[in-house]
Amino acid sequence: MKTVKRSGIELRPLKLPHHDVRVLPNGLTVHLIPRGPLPLVAVRLVTRAGSVFDPAGLLGVGDFASRLLRRGAAGLTANQISDQVEFVGASVGGFANEENAIVSLSTPSQHLESMFEIFAKVVLEPDYAESEIELSRRRVLAQLSNELDDPGSLADRALSRAVWGTHPYSHEARSGKADYEAFQRKDLVAFHQQRLGPAISHLYVTGEFKAAKVMALVERTLGGWKNGPAQAPVIPTALGIAQPGEVIIVDKPEQTQVQVRIGAPGVKRGHVDHFPLMVMNTVLGGGFTSRLVTEIRVRRGLSYGAGSGFEMMSAGGAFNVSSFTKTETLTQLLDVALAEVKKMKSKGPTAAEVATVQRYISGLYPARLETNEAIAGALADVVHYGLTDEWISQYRERIAAVTVKDAARAAQKHLFEKDRVIVLVGNAQKIAPKVKKYGPVSVLKPSELE
Amino acid sequence: MATRHTPKTTSKKSPTAKLPPALEAIAETVIEHTLPNGLKVRLLPSDAVPTCSFYTFFRVGSRNERPGITGISHLFEHMMFNGAKKYGPGQFDKTLESNGGSSNAYTSNDVTVYYEDFMSEALETVIDLEADRMKSLAVTPKMLESERQVVIEERRLRVDNEIGGLMDEELSTLIWKAHPYRWPVIGWMKDIENITREDCLDYFRTFYAPNNATVYVAGDFDPKQALALIRKYYGGIEAGPQIPRVLDAEPEQKGERRAEVRHPAQAPSLMIAWRGPAGDHPDTLTLDVLQYALSVGQSSRLTRALVYEQELAVSVSVDWTWRFDPGSFLIGVELKPGADPKATEAALFAQLEKVAKHGLEPHELEKAKNNLAAHLYRELATNNGRAHALGTYEIMLGSWKAGLGLASRYQTITAEDVRAAAAKYLTPERRSVVTLVPTEIA
Repeated sequence: MKTVKRSGIELRPLKLPHHDVRVLPNGLTVHLIPRGPLPLVAVRLVTRAGSVFDPAGLLGVGDFASRLLRRGAAGLTANQISDQVEFVGASVGGFANEENAIVSLSTPSQHLESMFEIFAKVVLEPDYAESEIELSRRRVLAQLSNELDDPGSLADRALSRAVWGTHPYSHEARSGKADYEAFQRKDLVAFHQQRLGPAISHLYVTGEFKAAKVMALVERTLGGWKNGPAQAPVIPTALGIAQPGEVIIVDKPEQTQVQVRIGAPGVKRGHVDHFPLMVMNTVLGGGFTSRLVTEIRVRRGLSYGAGSGFEMMSAGGAFNVSSFTKTETLTQLLDVALAEVKKMKSKGPTAAEVATVQRYISGLYPARLETNEAIAGALADVVHYGLTDEWISQYRERIAAVTVKDAARAAQKHLFEKDRVIVLVGNAQKIAPKVKKYGPVSVLKPSELE
Repeated sequence: MATRHTPKTTSKKSPTAKLPPALEAIAETVIEHTLPNGLKVRLLPSDAVPTCSFYTFFRVGSRNERPGITGISHLFEHMMFNGAKKYGPGQFDKTLESNGGSSNAYTSNDVTVYYEDFMSEALETVIDLEADRMKSLAVTPKMLESERQVVIEERRLRVDNEIGGLMDEELSTLIWKAHPYRWPVIGWMKDIENITREDCLDYFRTFYAPNNATVYVAGDFDPKQALALIRKYYGGIEAGPQIPRVLDAEPEQKGERRAEVRHPAQAPSLMIAWRGPAGDHPDTLTLDVLQYALSVGQSSRLTRALVYEQELAVSVSVDWTWRFDPGSFLIGVELKPGADPKATEAALFAQLEKVAKHGLEPHELEKAKNNLAAHLYRELATNNGRAHALGTYEIMLGSWKAGLGLASRYQTITAEDVRAAAAKYLTPERRSVVTLVPTEIA
């Protein structure tokens, strides 16, 4: 078998399944990726209509409306859709993340045609019946409230607000009770009519099927889809973080353990330093032998888990460190984590570390492309972030090409110095006095994050 | 421990039924071998992606513990990453990662399972690493102390600071009075603090022997070469002693059992369990069907009734996990803030009584079976998933073939079977109820 050799890594070629792309007359881009051997199909419709575009006062409306798509459409009630889809072992559903609204279908191959017809109805003709809106609203409000009991998700929500501030990337973390109470049917219809549309959507179909037959099916069901924007809306560039230098405590007095997050500026997806940053961060807090895991878990037994990562989106990104420890050892953990970031920033990784993580990232990369869902997701990312297919096919080679100098330079350039925010979820009375040395401290109640 | 066999007394199943083509294709590739020291080896070659997954299943879990050392199985799982004779402290993951791989493990009541995902070229290194720690794990006092702290922090995360964890722990002590399923897999805090090095060494000698392990390899590799490597590295490991039998001394339950957990929370919550059969009992598959009909999908009975129609709950889940000894059919209900746990219980029980009286509608039965079949395919989509699924089937059902043939066995289950199982198991006499009573939030 042909192999590529670079930095001592021999890579067997990655077999990417054949990928057919066609733009329908209404502007919908259809990607067909037929592959076996299991008789399953994954369908994913991605539209640039995520939470960043939710209007003020109605934050979360896109996600809410996307989730409601399957609760009644084109003459089928919510129960009829559930019965028909779930009967054959399929699932259909919608949601929105920061940048996209996504509707997906997963089905056994033999039922693809009938399931795709329901999928198309859900996408094109949702009812948004008042009774379903009210039912869903009551449930989401209850969920929102119950989530306040989970320290990990509270920490993530507080971090996201402290990092993004008023930038639309904070919409998801800021959408709350008042927003959900304000949604009206006309808002959901407006989302569906004005923010979803074929010209800014990509459809990915991956799995065992006959391409020609499925293309005809897509044309027949989605070829008549109209409305929506002609061009994808633009997301304003996000710079820096909102609350640099601050320490934010979410008070949960019953906790014996503190959830810890450190947030700092990052880079956007496709950044020229992407590969050096991946290598550097894997050394710092990516794998199980990362410096953070070694220093926090292995050497000191301070926590069960520790890690760092870059969240990269179209118009900005963030860097974060996350861990947890018992109340008594909080400052010890924070000092170790901050020292490791500082050390990485000033000295970079060693040659041995770089070589290790290059093999680690490259070796496991193909396993990210094993399922229909994963392949659809990877191709969707390439399209969404304006990358090329080489992003996938050459990913391992680009990781292998990173030098120790590249990684050190990326660390020096992108890791934080003072512009970081610390978020802690735990017993405020016990921890507040101990963390003043890290910056001005403010204390929130969990209910302030609802 | 007795070897698990699929019971031969049931006449309904048809083990010779033909598999669907995609499953037959997988079955045809499986190569089985047992080394003289008792290590079972199963090879599942497939060249879809140039990676492999290597699974090791040990037939030991918290079920094999005793009071005083509860949690040792799980603590030991952590210790397995802390150095052996050839690959010393810190070397296991370092070697693996530098060869393009990663690892993880989990411990349950019945088994301890280790796995590595890695680029195919690293197969020999992975076999060497796994054999090294099975043969010659080092339990040093220093590593034990450090790992103990990690596990204590894990317990704080998953139990002491997690409402579901608190409730689950309370529930197990209600369901089981004598059986080791009574204590949590992670162990009681005091026991974790006091497990000794001698306990660990004794545990290792007894349970971490080749005759108590099954290895599954799935992915892009040459099976002949793999088997030769496994012989080379594992062949010299001596078989261990016979595994001590676990006595199931659980007395009959005489009536409903209840407990409360009082904790700051936004809403009440319920965890209710009924004592069920052992994993290899024929009723187990019927309860799988019932589990799916009750809780999988928005059209499932409990989700539709409690979440969408009566709006008492935010979510309902049913957990029917196969176990070596009689397990529990567990229903968790996350209530809405302000909802009444008593009324929710009554609504839930009314739904279950309906099934016990009238069984399932034909389309519900068919739907559950279709979903169980689709679930099997989805499990098999990755190297990791294939190794894990087939290995688990072998451990629980006696053979991986029985796992691939499950869909046809589910097909033989009738609405009357489901009704009878609901009537037999979901009774007040078999029930234990834990209610989360929210205390005021400061």
